Amino acid sequence: MFPTPSTSHADYDKVYEPSEDTFLFLDLLQEELPFLQRRFSDLSILGSPLVLELGSGSGVVVTFFHNHILPDALFLGTDINPEACKTALETSKVNNGTRYFDVLRTNICDSLRPNSIDVLLFNPPYVPADTLGSYESSVKSGDWLDFALLGGEDGMRITNVVLDQLDNIMSRERGVAYILFCFRNKPDEVSQAMRAKGWTVTKIGERKVRWEILSILRFEKE
Amino acid sequence: MKLLTANFVQCSVKACSATPKCFPLHFDQQTADVPLELAHEDVDFSPEFVYNMLPRIDWPALTTTARELGNNMLPETKPEIENPNAPEHEQLLRDLHTLLLETQIIQGSMRCENCGHIYFIRDSIPNFLLPGHLVQ
Repeated sequence: MFPTPSTSHADYDKVYEPSEDTFLFLDLLQEELPFLQRRFSDLSILGSPLVLELGSGSGVVVTFFHNHILPDALFLGTDINPEACKTALETSKVNNGTRYFDVLRTNICDSLRPNSIDVLLFNPPYVPADTLGSYESSVKSGDWLDFALLGGEDGMRITNVVLDQLDNIMSRERGVAYILFCFRNKPDEVSQAMRAKGWTVTKIGERKVRWEILSILRFEKE
Repeated sequence: MKLLTANFVQCSVKACSATPKCFPLHFDQQTADVPLELAHEDVDFSPEFVYNMLPRIDWPALTTTARELGNNMLPETKPEIENPNAPEHEQLLRDLHTLLLETQIIQGSMRCENCGHIYFIRDSIPNFLLPGHLVQ
């Protein structure tokens, strides 16, 4: 088992604390190591892969990825929460860093060049809830944690936006996206719908965590 | 924000993404309240790392960004390198390393040529949120 990066500098009143869903992500990425190394073994034409963690929070997942999975890739994180942006940069630094990592404060991945991402990592706000995080009230209160957690009806409000944009986000030649779901997000229905749009969808693993069943799906274009 | 990042981002405004003017964002007009501040931050040099980065770079956009930030040293066209460890390429790869990976934009602003929107960078973090239509 690879060690989990240290996030002891993080303030968990302001940034989502690494939890069971995070640890499932780390464990399954470790199992994906052979697949990813194979996929990105020849860099002669397309160059280094660009890895994006969407909603990078504390930065623990993207830092794990650059420490243990593809150390020579290029890394970006995005988050709407300004504290998360700072914390992720810090997490990368205190865990030996990488040659290239930057965090953008943005909504989902609005500001990224289209079709540029080779590996997308996304642990979404997947918890079904009546509400979503509110930007205005978060600015006022400084409390951004709802954004990290609450996903509206079915917990799919944000994930659906990402799935709809996936074609535009991912690199056409070698893009691969990893997205986490809970059972109430209906991952089987999502797989079916995305297959109908031409994606190859693979469930790379699932785990029962208290009352939830969490799984991670891998999306690749044919 | 590292200088390389300017090569990966564009204007967040949806209407702009349909125009070629949304990229690159421009550093040519800085504001007095957030003056441009650059810093050098050491990063371990690896010729292979810089070499593998080259295919990802939009060269005309990079030369524009570099020029606006005061660096006129880049060749007009993307250099073609066969062997990253050949001694004749070392200086060029080192220069690119310094420019792309070690140049931190601590603060400043970037402007969209199409809509004129200004994106600010503070504490090395660029903010691409748009007022008004942030979270749907």
